This record gives sequence, structure tokens and C-alpha cells, in this order.
Amino acid sequence: MAELHSYPPHETWHDAVTLDAKAWPKRVENHHTLVPTTCFNCEAACGLVCHVNHATGRIDRVEGNPLHPASRGRNCAKGPATLNQIDDHERILHPLRRTGERGGGQWQRVSWTEALDDIGGRIRSAIVEGRRDEVMYHVGRPGEDGFAERVLQCWGVDGHNSHTNICSSNARIGYQSWMGHDRPSADFAHAEVIFLISSHLEAGHYFNPHAQRIVEAQGNGATVICVDPRLSNTGAKADFWLPAWPGTEPFLLLAIARLLLADGAWDRGFVERWTNWETYLRARHPQRPVEFESVGPALLEDYAAYTPEEAERVCGVPAAQIVEVARIIGAHPTKFASHNWRAAGAGNLGGWQTARCLFFLNVLTGSVGTVGGTTGNGWNKYKAPHPPAEGAVQHWNELSWPQEYPLAYHEMSILLPHFLNEGRGRLDVYFSRVYNPVWTNPDGFSWLEALKDPDKVGCHVALTPTWSETAVFADYVLPMGVGAERHDVASFETHAGRWIGFRQPVLRRYAEIRGDEVGHGSRTHEFNPGEVWEENEFWIELSWRIDPDGALGIRRWFESPEHPGTPMSVDEYYSAMFAGVPGLADDAAAAGQSPLEFMRDRGAYALEGDMYLPYEREVELAALEGCELDETGVFRRPGTPGTWSGAAEDLAGLKLAGLGDGSPAVEVDGSAREGFPTPSRKLELYSQTLADWGWPEYATPTWIPSHVHWEDLDLDGDERILLPTFRIPTLIHTRSANSKWLSELSHRHPLWIHPSDAEALGIEVDGLVRIVTRIGHFVIGAWRTEGIRPGVVAASHHMGRWRLDAAAGGSWSGGDADITNDGGTWRLRRRGRPERHASDDPDTERIWWSDTGVHQNLTFCVQPDPVSGMQCWHQRVRVGPAEPGDAYGDVVVDTAKARDAYRDWLAKTRPAPGPDGLRRPLWYARPLKPTPAAYAL
Amino acid sequence: MTRLGFLLDSDSCIGCHACTVACKSEHDVPLGVNRTWVKYIETGSFPNVNRHFSVMRCNHCDDAPCITICPTGALFRAANGVVDFDDSNCIGCKGCMNACPYDAIYINPATNTANKCNFCNHRIEQNLEPSCVVVCPTHAIKVADLDDPDDAATRIIARSDTAVRAPQQQTLPKVYYRGADQASLDPLRTAIAADGMIWADTTPQHPTAAADGHGVVARTAYTTAHETTWKAKVSSYLVTKAVAAGVMAVAALLALLGHGGSQAAVGVMPPVVAGFFLAVTGGLLVGDLRRPERFYYLLTRPNRRSWLVKGAWVLGAFAAVCAAWFVAGVAGSSGALEVLAVPAALLAAATAGYTAFLFGQCEGRDLWQTPLLLPTLLAQAAVAGGAAYAAADLFMEVPAPAAARWVMLGGLGACGLLIAAEVASHGTAHVEAAVAAMTKGRYARRFWAGGMVLGLVLPGAAVAVALAADSGAALPAGAGLAAVVGMWFYEDSFVRAGQSVPLS
Repeated sequence: MAELHSYPPHETWHDAVTLDAKAWPKRVENHHTLVPTTCFNCEAACGLVCHVNHATGRIDRVEGNPLHPASRGRNCAKGPATLNQIDDHERILHPLRRTGERGGGQWQRVSWTEALDDIGGRIRSAIVEGRRDEVMYHVGRPGEDGFAERVLQCWGVDGHNSHTNICSSNARIGYQSWMGHDRPSADFAHAEVIFLISSHLEAGHYFNPHAQRIVEAQGNGATVICVDPRLSNTGAKADFWLPAWPGTEPFLLLAIARLLLADGAWDRGFVERWTNWETYLRARHPQRPVEFESVGPALLEDYAAYTPEEAERVCGVPAAQIVEVARIIGAHPTKFASHNWRAAGAGNLGGWQTARCLFFLNVLTGSVGTVGGTTGNGWNKYKAPHPPAEGAVQHWNELSWPQEYPLAYHEMSILLPHFLNEGRGRLDVYFSRVYNPVWTNPDGFSWLEALKDPDKVGCHVALTPTWSETAVFADYVLPMGVGAERHDVASFETHAGRWIGFRQPVLRRYAEIRGDEVGHGSRTHEFNPGEVWEENEFWIELSWRIDPDGALGIRRWFESPEHPGTPMSVDEYYSAMFAGVPGLADDAAAAGQSPLEFMRDRGAYALEGDMYLPYEREVELAALEGCELDETGVFRRPGTPGTWSGAAEDLAGLKLAGLGDGSPAVEVDGSAREGFPTPSRKLELYSQTLADWGWPEYATPTWIPSHVHWEDLDLDGDERILLPTFRIPTLIHTRSANSKWLSELSHRHPLWIHPSDAEALGIEVDGLVRIVTRIGHFVIGAWRTEGIRPGVVAASHHMGRWRLDAAAGGSWSGGDADITNDGGTWRLRRRGRPERHASDDPDTERIWWSDTGVHQNLTFCVQPDPVSGMQCWHQRVRVGPAEPGDAYGDVVVDTAKARDAYRDWLAKTRPAPGPDGLRRPLWYARPLKPTPAAYAL
Repeated sequence: MTRLGFLLDSDSCIGCHACTVACKSEHDVPLGVNRTWVKYIETGSFPNVNRHFSVMRCNHCDDAPCITICPTGALFRAANGVVDFDDSNCIGCKGCMNACPYDAIYINPATNTANKCNFCNHRIEQNLEPSCVVVCPTHAIKVADLDDPDDAATRIIARSDTAVRAPQQQTLPKVYYRGADQASLDPLRTAIAADGMIWADTTPQHPTAAADGHGVVARTAYTTAHETTWKAKVSSYLVTKAVAAGVMAVAALLALLGHGGSQAAVGVMPPVVAGFFLAVTGGLLVGDLRRPERFYYLLTRPNRRSWLVKGAWVLGAFAAVCAAWFVAGVAGSSGALEVLAVPAALLAAATAGYTAFLFGQCEGRDLWQTPLLLPTLLAQAAVAGGAAYAAADLFMEVPAPAAARWVMLGGLGACGLLIAAEVASHGTAHVEAAVAAMTKGRYARRFWAGGMVLGLVLPGAAVAVALAADSGAALPAGAGLAAVVGMWFYEDSFVRAGQSVPLS
């Protein structure tokens, strides 16, 4: 047999001939142009190739991009399902403006010009009148690196708000407190032990690229260990599945750490060379001599209580298994790859210590930045440079960065409705961008209350390809493109290597290849369906409306360098960006192309070289000129936070680095090395920052009992721990519901409950369950499974989509619902199931399922971790059979109780100012990092 | 030669369903049907519990029963060993769906033709991998050229512990599993629990546990639905052709016994009744096709190995002999009837009995493979023929009426014995599961109240009384009606129970 290939050869992509699948076995040839782009579903940003049919001009198929260094031509189910999102018969095709009450479902089609003029005028007024904080851009998964931030920076608006604190704040601070970088980059492919507090074989950052490499390593003999209270698909594939009690994961990890220390199975040389052990000893063991020989005994003393037996009692994992796992880890030094992003990190109060304790194992095994180890994302992610922009924002938006959470990673977005409610501020223009806080965030009814109140939110603009529970409460709904209809550049730390991926409007590129005129004045919406725009052109146009005459100094940042007086084109923008990518220009030239053309033809670019042991790189003396070597061996640069005396008058003149305190190197064994972007330039076994900012007890890897710790629960009664956030491989939050193929695969999310719990709680097989949270309850169906720890119940968060109005899309996955408010108590009740109906897509006549799930998140109060600000998703709930009158899908919430809960959690904080009267450590990363003066409280 | 198969590596499969979606996209597969899917099962108890994934699809059998049964060559063997299909030939008879022991074939609701995994042969033709192979994140789906000993996947198949689905069907499947839990490959060892599946609804078309629940060791956490394809029309067709065959057989018997002179009851009535029921039979057969307008492909594009084709020939020949009989009957030529009696009897038997060979080609339906099916069909024809004559006795002078009653009673007795033997005998696990569905499960009422009591016990007793008491025509006629109606219930339980056993 001739050798089979995955894809037509790249040189044929502009006219690839394939045989028609439906006509087969007749040989009917189709001609396609293959245009690469990037998936817009999960964060992994896998490469896609769209097959544009020459006869119809339509996209027939979406496959992987074999030239993409991370996804390597392969995809999860969501990649090919992009076709459904493009063809979605219910997508929004024209700008709409609300006509009736907010949420009333009455809309009027408006022109883009009207919408842009109105919104631009409002923002202009806010800027001119000094109400900059009333402009906010609230982004779900960005899928791009810095475009929108640059826009806000050029507007001078500290208005970036993200979804991070419902997602990854805890993991970020866990990693950042060790190495400065706030994400792990695991070299799974070359690991010998893979330790996952995650479900990377079905979800997570970055599902498909990571799953490829984890399974590859497992096939090569690596041991995979997965910690999860429920049997995820990852737990199923793992060699060890350790279903620890939720929130006890750090305890388990510290027990393993203790065994490594006790067995001498730790990399003493690495710990001595690359941790700030001196600081640790001085702070925690002042009686011991400050010499490395003290470190082992000191750590064993600190973690003496973390015996396997005690870990078995606390975590519910057999001591023998813990010992077995620790032995395996100890036997594979430098080849320990680990990952935690959400899971235990996102679920628990103190969950940030999960990542901190997990990375402790990397440190002890010397598996940091090694082949088969884990490094910082900053080294395996490449941020391409944007065109020049306005200087840093000069003020501080307390609606996103409140004083109570000086260390928050990132904005305290979950508290926004409560802040608005307390009168901490108001919003005049609020952009929800491919983000659905009413549905996704906890306490959605408080969001609904805020969004319905024009005194709190003057104008809500939803930038979205599809209807959502949030978009229906907007004033403008502006249709934006999906993965094949927009430009973005992204890069992620998927493996040991660096790459950039280019998302592009496929039909625009197709027109260009066919020889149609796509010039300076061309806009992506001319090629997209209906009047669907891409965001980048929207921001450029909007910036012109804000500053039409350039008097505000905004317009110039969005002006064409080649055609002054006209808006910058995306071609100009990305040409500038790609020009700055090392190696790209040369490779493009070798191919006879411009960097932009090269990227348009390939969709991705791998930067040369690996990034193993980056911290060991020697720093040239020339780069250290003017620096002072301090007593800890760090080269400090004058005028940076690393040398700041704390004097208020010097603050404004400091030069801030994006990450770290501006110190370029650290002296190790007599030579200057790059080190880590922490204040010590070392891995921080002891975090002086955490100690200085009010949390000295958490400065070393520590177990913090969770708000759902099992010993605090009435498990003999009806209290249980609810895990409400797990992902499944076929869906991605609220972004994938417009795919019929994905909805067909997955449309129900029964409550996982162990049979022993079901019996004890009187819940029948397939019976309805009422789950009572602090602020309300919901009614869901039970699914008895052995794949969950008794005492814990769980339901995936993906389902439970609803729509108040059948016109608001959601045919595949949305349940019709009514919402009522009875004196402060909100009720959501389902009216119907997805019905078969006629449409442009014959498959709407073939919908065979009836379940759409239950919207759990409405019943969760905000539970921000007082350190990281992360929503602690796990819920302490009462579980029982449904009560008379309950119906499947019911949700009942009292928002007054939600406000009480907000205040209780707020009271756990240790607010700013920190040292030197600051709002936040100067060395911490932050979106739109403002000028140093803005840090002063 | 090239002989393509798949290696499905469950060791690597992460259950992500990318293959399912890539396939839907490549072939525009409508909602509700699948060419490939990923089955999840769960085994064990906490904390020693696991979930296993196995990819289900066509096995591209070297001895493919779907190709054998396909009456029009719509399913065919491609040169590279793949079982491929041609939509333009398919008449939608669904025989292939019953022939396949793997639940691999479905009717495409957009075209009303049978579709299945065809190995993306349109891609193979251009040296491109199937779309499921391309998309799979973990390379868990590999193409193997089984005739090439140096092929990487073929080497794995040769050297590793691999398994195939349903080897006992002897179809020589070419889809090999590495690392699959045995229970995930044996649909009788897992079942969807009462509280359904992990993240999709369960419908009545989803596989259900055997009625006796025997042998289930794990739960099915995810799988897909499969339509029951042969239903009331097929059950009815079995009865209508039994009547046609039976009445002609009794007529032939009477002619041979010298009653050919009874022009109305032997010469005319039987071919009229048989003709009517044959017409209904034909109507049911054509009506059961998803592409009825293509019914003539049976004759113009015949696959001579298919018993659907041979059956059509049998029915045609039988219709011809009925017509000749009618002509002879109308002409009052008892001599001609005596000449026609032997071929008429043989073709009546063939008409009644050929379905045993057709059902025998349904390799996916073990219940139907029973050697007792042929005698049962013949006995049913006797019952139906006796019943027809018992009814005729109400309206006309029937020669030797006791003969027809004895035929009916004998047929009923034979049916009773044959069905009892079938139910009591031990067959494969699939047969036992089907028998349990028929006698204890969801078809038990149809089987017992309809098939046995109404169809055998009551008419048997009534005919016995009638014979003993030499009663009038009404009692045997009533018994005949009950027997025929009961026969339908029995056939329906047999047809449906045969298809009730999960194959995937």
C-alpha cells in the first residue's frame, strides 16, 4: 500500500483536490483551498485548517493544522465542531439595540455606524469628564495576547476585567509564589513521572496538546498519577488514581514531600543552588545555623506531622499507596512533570497551596526547567510585540482591584455586582466580550440584578457570536466572529518549545488567494457572514470614534503608518507584530514571502531552540552594567522596585517590569545567572512577599484546610461536598453550545453520587435530588457511580443553559425557562426541552435528546479566597431527595443571602496597604500594569 | 495485495470523541446515527474502579455478512479489503443492519440508504488517512495493511495482546483492539443502568440489558442508539406469505388426493386467496424498503447470493404457479391441477421456508439462526393453510373438510413442539438473551398471550374439539382466525426479540 498522509502536501493547499465523500464510490473531484486558523474554543489554541470549497466558496470542513507545533494536526472533538459554529443557523448576524426593558427580549437592528458612534461617544465623554473607571472590558477566554490590553492602555483606561478569578487565580499564585511565572509548563513528552491534579486527558490548559504528550510518555513507560475525588477520564487512564478528600491535596503532596526528604530522595544540589533556603531558615528556623545542612532537618521538622498514616486519615488515600507513589517519584529525579490549574486549586479556600505544594515536589526532585520536568510558562510562551502604544495607565480602578485583595490574581470580577451594589462605583460602558457572567459566574442573580439596573450599568455592550444568558441583558449585541472569522495571535506553553499561532478570517484569506482585492481599506466583515465583525477592527474603529480629531491623543495609536489619516489595517498591525518575531522574517524570506503572508499560509510558527534550564543561562556582564550586587547575590538595577527604598517620593520614578522587580540576574557559585523573576531571583521556598503582605503563616508550602474540609461537615447527616465545576472532553463552558455534534454527544450532567451516599440520603435510583447551598437550592437528577468518593457529589458545569425567549438561539442545548422574582427570591423554572423544529439545518428535525441540565452556578455565593481572590468553587451543601413541588431544573436563590455571604468572605481578607503604603507588590504581574504612582494608596 | 484494517488502541484512547465528530464532519452524518463512536464502560467499586473506552465501528469483515445479504450490491468489497458501499444502489431493505453483528450500519435519514464506516475510502484513494485517524490526539486509531508484514500497525497486531469483537460470528473482522477491557467488547457483559449514561440521554433505541440480566459485570456509561429495523411489516409479511403458501399447499394436497374436481374450493379459491396474500406480501416488502421506488433493483441489480433476491425469485415463481393454477381452476381442468400440484406444493414450501435462509443470513441475530426456523415456518404454513380452508368452509363446499382441520391441528402441534424446543434449548448467549426477551422480557406478553395462548393453545383445543365432535364450520374457522392472529404475535415477538440483543 502506498504510504498514507494526514494532510495534502502544504504546497497544494491553495488548490487541493479531494474526492467527494458523498458521491463516492463515484469519483467526483472537489477543489479546496486550505486556510489555516486557530481554534477559538478552549485556551489551547490548537491549529485548524479550513477547507474552502472553490465551487461554493463555503467552508466544507475544519481539520487540524499539521504545521502547528503544539497540536500537530490533531484535535479534540471541539476542533472539527468549529464547522457547526460557523454554520450555526441561530448565530447573530447583525448589530442589535435593545428597545424595551433590559432583558425584555425586544431588539431593533441598527447599523454598525450607529452603534459605534453611540458607544464611542459615551466612552469619549467618560474619558473627557474624568470618569475613566466607568469603562470596563470584561473578557472571557481572550484567545489573544494583548490586543485588547493595548487598546485600553491607549485609551488610558484601567478597564481590563477578566474571568481569571473564576478560573485560575489560585493556581497562578501558587506557581508565581515559587518562580515568578504564574503558569506551569510541563514537559510531559519526556517525563518519567507525570503528576496531575487536573484532568488533562479530557480538559484543562491545554487539553489536546497535553493529552498527546502525556499518552506518548505513558506509552514510553512514564507513570501517570492523578489526584481527583471523582474518576475523571484522566483518573481512568492514570496508573494511580488517588481520590483524596477535596481540599486535602496539599496535605497529600506534603506527605509525599516529607517522604522524599526522609528517604533522602531529593535533589540537594538543586535545592541549595536554586531556592532561597537562607531566607527560609532565617524566617522559620532562626535557631538553626544558616547553612544548607540545616535545610533537610528544618523541613522534616516543619512537615513532621505529614506522615503517610496521618495523610491516610486526612486525605483518605491509603498510606501504602502514598509511600508507593513517593518511591516512584523519588526514583525519577529531574523527570517529574506536574500540573495543576483548576481542579483542587479552583475548588478550595487555600486552594492556591495545591499548586505551591505540587511544585514543591518539582523543586525537591530537581525537575524545574529540565527535560521531562516543569518550567515557568514565561519561558515556553512567546509574546509577540505589539505596535507601539501609549504609556502605562496612570490610575487604579478599584472596581477591579479593590484594596481588600492586594495579592489578587487577577481582577476581582466575581465581586463586581456587589461593588456596584455598595456604591463603590458605576459603569457607564460595560463590554462583556465572549463572556457570560450571568451564567458562568457564581451568584448569577446578583449579576442579573446589576445588569438590569441602568444606574449601575449605563450601557452594556455584548460582543458575542451567539446569544447568551448575559447578552440578553445587554443594550447592544454586536456580532463577532468565531474561530474562522477573526484575527488573533496567541502562544501557549503547551510543551518544551515556543510558538505563535495565527487566527485569521478564513474567507478573507481565501479571497486574497483567489486574487480578489483585499487592500488597505478592506475589512473582515466584508467576508464574514452577515454583518459579523472581528473585534480588532471594531476596537480600531471605536478608538477613532472616541477621538475623531485626534485631540485626545488616542487616535494616533490606531492610525495607519502607510496611509496617514486612515485607520490602521489588521494587515499593518500584524505585519508589525510578525516583524518582531525572532527568526520569522528569515524563514519567510527563505520561502519568498513576507512574514504576514508566511503566517497566513501556515497559521503557526515555531521559534527556534528549546528553553531547558533557562534560569541557568549566564548573563553577560555588559547586561549588568550599573547594577548593584546585594547581600543575597541578586544584581539589582537602580530605579527599579528591586532597589526602591520605600520612600514615597521615589515611587513615581521607578521603572516597572512586566514581571519581577527589574533585577536582571543572580550570582550563583560565582557566576551571574538569569534565575527566576522573583525578588530573590530564586525559587522561593519562603515567600517574603506573602509574609510582608499579611500572610506569614503561608509563606512556605502549607496545607490550608478548605472551606469544605470533610472533618467540618456533618457527613453522618445530610451535608456533603459538591464539586460543581468539572469539565468533560466534548464541551467548553458556554462557548460550545452552538455545536450540534457536541450537544448530541453531551447534554446531561446528572449528579454523581456514590451508591452508599444515595442510600444513606434516601435518594432513589435515577431520583431527583435537591441540593441546598448557602443562598438557595437547585434540583438535579442522581447518577449512582462508584467513580466518586463517598461524601462527595459532583456535576459537570457545562450543562444547564437556558433561554427566556426561543428566539435567543440555543436550539441544541438551551432549555426554555421562566425567571420570576418574589420579594427577593429568584426562581428559575424550566418550561421545555429542545424541540424538533424546521430550520435551514435539517438536523433540527432530528434532535433526539431532551435533557439540557441544571444551572448550578446561580445557587453559589461568591467565595473569594482572601489571598488570591479566586472563587472557591466547591460547595458545602445539604443533599436530599427532591421535595414536593420540586421539578427538575428548578433553581431558587435569595440574593440577600448572597450579599451576606459576600460580606462574610470579604471579612477574611487582610487588606492593603502593604509595605510602603502600596496597593499591590510592584513586582507582581497585572494586566495593564499601571504607572508606579498608581500603586500608592 | 492490500487488505486494510484498523488497530484501535484502547491503551491510548482517552475517550475524547474527536473521531466521532471528525467522522460526522467528513461524511455529513446526521444527528441520531453514527459511523463510529466511543463506548464508555465502568468497572469495579470505589476506589478500585475504572472507566474504559473502546471505539466502535464497522469491522470490515473478510467474510462480511452485510455484503452477502445486500440484495443489490450496494455493499461491496473494495479492492483494498474495505467493505464499502454505494448509496445509488441501496434500496433500504435494512437486511445489512440485521446481518451485521456489530451494530455498524444505519439508515441515513437524509438519503434513506444504508451507511456505515467505509474507511474513508475516498481519502484512501488519494493516499490520505481516514479522518478519524487524522484527528485522534493520541494516535489511538491506526490503519493497518494486514497483508503487509512490515506494516507498523500489523506488527503491533501480530505481537501484542489484541482482541476482536464477536469472533464467534466467524465474520473475520479486521478491526483489532489493543488494551480493551473484554467487557467493553462484549455487549452482553455491560448494560446501561436505570439512571442512564454519563452525559447523554438514554432512549428506547439504546441497548438494554438482557431480560435475565445474566452475565452483566459492568455498566455502560456511554454508547449510542440503534434503531430496530424490521418491525410490524416484517412480522406481517411472515404471516401473509404463510397464508398464501399454506392455502396452496392444502389445495395441492387436495388435488393429489383426487379432489381437483372441486372447482371452487380447489381450483379457484386457493389461487385467489394466495394471490391476494402474495400481493399483500409484496406490498409489505416494498413498503418496508426505505427506498421503495427502487424495489426493482432486486431484479435489475441482483446479488445472487442474497436470500432477499432468491426470495424474490421464489415469490415470483410461486406467483406464476398460482396464476397457472387459477387458469386451470377456472378452466375446470383437474388434470392440469394434478400436474401443477407437485410444483405448487414445492414452491409453497419454498415461499414459506425461504425466510429461514434469509434470516440465516442475518448473522447479527443469533435467535434467527436456529435450525428449527425452517420447520417452524413450514408448520406455520400448514396452520395458515388449514385456517384458510377452515374459513372457506363457511362459504363454500370444501372437499374432505377434516383433512384441512387435521393439517391445521398437525401444524399447531408441530409449531408448539418446535417453539418449545427452541425456548428450552441452550444456544449462544445471544440466543439465550433473545429468548429471555421473548419469553420474560418486553415481548413476553406478545409471545405468551398472543403467540402461545391465542395462536396455539386456543385454536389447538378448538380444532381438537371440532374434530372429535365433527362440529360445523364455525368453530374451526374461529380457531383458524385465532391461529393466524396469534401467529402474528408470535412472529412479532420472534422478529423483535431477535433484534433486541445489544451488539455494541
